[in-house]
Amino acid sequence: MSSTTTEAAPETLPGKTWTSTGKNNITATDALRVVILVTAALVALVPIVWLVLGSFKTPTELSARPPLLLPESWGLSNYTDALTRFDFTTYLFNSTVVTIAATALTLAINSMAAYALAKYNFRGKNGLFLLTLATIMIPLQVILIPVYQVVASLGMVNTLWGLIIPAAATPTGVFILRQYMLSIPDELIEAARVDGSGEFRTFIQIVLPMCRPALAVVAILSIMWRWNDFLWPLVVAQSETVYTLPVALARFTAEETVPFNLIIAMSVVSILPVIILFLFFQRQIVTGIANTGIK
Amino acid sequence: MTAVQTAPPRKRKSSLKMGLVPYLFLLPNMAIFGLFTIWPAINGFNISMYSSSNGRTFRWEGAGNYQSILTDADFWGIVRNTVIYAFAFVLLSVVIGVVLAVLVDQQRRGRTFFRSVFFIPVLISPVVVGLVWNWMLERQGGLVNTFLGWFGIPEIPWLVDNNLATIVVIAVGVWMQVGFYMLILLAGLQSIDPSVYEAARVDGANRWRQFISLTFPLLQPSILVVVVLATIHGFQAFDYIYTLTGGGPVGATTLIVQYIYENGFVSPIRYGMASAGSVLLFCAIFALTIINWMVGRKREAA
Repeated sequence: MSSTTTEAAPETLPGKTWTSTGKNNITATDALRVVILVTAALVALVPIVWLVLGSFKTPTELSARPPLLLPESWGLSNYTDALTRFDFTTYLFNSTVVTIAATALTLAINSMAAYALAKYNFRGKNGLFLLTLATIMIPLQVILIPVYQVVASLGMVNTLWGLIIPAAATPTGVFILRQYMLSIPDELIEAARVDGSGEFRTFIQIVLPMCRPALAVVAILSIMWRWNDFLWPLVVAQSETVYTLPVALARFTAEETVPFNLIIAMSVVSILPVIILFLFFQRQIVTGIANTGIK
Repeated sequence: MTAVQTAPPRKRKSSLKMGLVPYLFLLPNMAIFGLFTIWPAINGFNISMYSSSNGRTFRWEGAGNYQSILTDADFWGIVRNTVIYAFAFVLLSVVIGVVLAVLVDQQRRGRTFFRSVFFIPVLISPVVVGLVWNWMLERQGGLVNTFLGWFGIPEIPWLVDNNLATIVVIAVGVWMQVGFYMLILLAGLQSIDPSVYEAARVDGANRWRQFISLTFPLLQPSILVVVVLATIHGFQAFDYIYTLTGGGPVGATTLIVQYIYENGFVSPIRYGMASAGSVLLFCAIFALTIINWMVGRKREAA
């Protein structure tokens, strides 16, 4: 749990290729394993491939029985229609603003709290750290109504602020950053103090740059959570102008007023950014999740 | 702490400033925490003691909401759905998660590829997950029934039949989350010292024997983490069910979070009942987490 850079096993063993000598016979167990893995991979991927293929199909093609495997032409009309038929750009804009602003806020306040918990001695430190950890056990689902009442009394219902602020103080983020900061030598901070650096300046100019890997993990996790978040936006974003993509999708599906081909196109747009992010930052995401075990 | 020798006098001089500094660093996080998590958690108990109609007029009820919720047959149906869902979800998540993790771990060529592929469903918006599966499971001409039709299997009413819908909701939940658990288990597997396997091989233990006597016991801590997380996730399931079945047919897949949401935000609004449901949900999650840890600790000690 404490180490932040594992990925212990090598991805590819240099000495073990098709051409290398040694025990290289493909046994029945090996074959069975590959068959199971490939089947499971297909099960994991087929719905996503089906969705992407569907986003290019016309309404007629979508209602064909039995379903067509491939669209007849790879037109983008579903996407362009979705853009023009309703406020798709607004939902996309809302999702983007909420994700970016909430992630920035999370990084700022989580790293400050983590720094205090990792590098200072003060009264109530252990108590506050335990309190932070304990709140992992209090998921939003459980406090949905009282949180909503707080947000409502602050006038943040139907505002993007109501989507950005309430969940910004994530215990997971504090935990990951604190663990990482513990590994920064105290001498470095002491040295900065001797040089006359103020506490906040030391934090900004020395500690934060050293925490870049941990900050990246928290940022990526936060982006993933916020982009896909549903229950909270469903509750706070009651008017169409503040819908995020998932809320818009769910509402439109339930109302059955929006053609299905447009819903599919919107779905593809809503899953693309996170998948692209994952493909770029695979290593950080994998080690980050594996080491904290928290979602 | 370690650098005590370096300039002790300066330390004393700035002690007053030091006294406030950590609190200032903590302030923004704790303010948001307190306002949007800790205070609501306390207030939730309070709200659950009041009656309400349409989210307004409150009257002290004491345990009245709990009494009416616990004598409500519909609520017990939802509890039953939730328990069945959570139990099956945890069991399948652990079993499939371990199998996938072991297979991926043993797979030298393409390990990263498989790991990524199994993780991709975790990344997808749950709303979209529900939507896609709802579409693929359409009774007539849905992808799944068409595929089964090639093997001569007649149309299956996946989302219409109560029992089938329950199975579908569980299966889709596992489909969506298992890659995440696999990742934790894979990290656990890779932290096992390979020399223990060499020793076992020298002793002539076959692969199955190695798995039972070595891998499984050494993987226990990771399995415990997965059980705890899957239990919490299992009791929180809502978002993808909302677009997959909407809780139907006739409430067969309505779980506790949907109950809380509907009582809190869909007319007729009943905050008191919703909060009572929330408190009961919290107690269930809390109790099960404690039990999981205790069982896990005992296993580790034994």
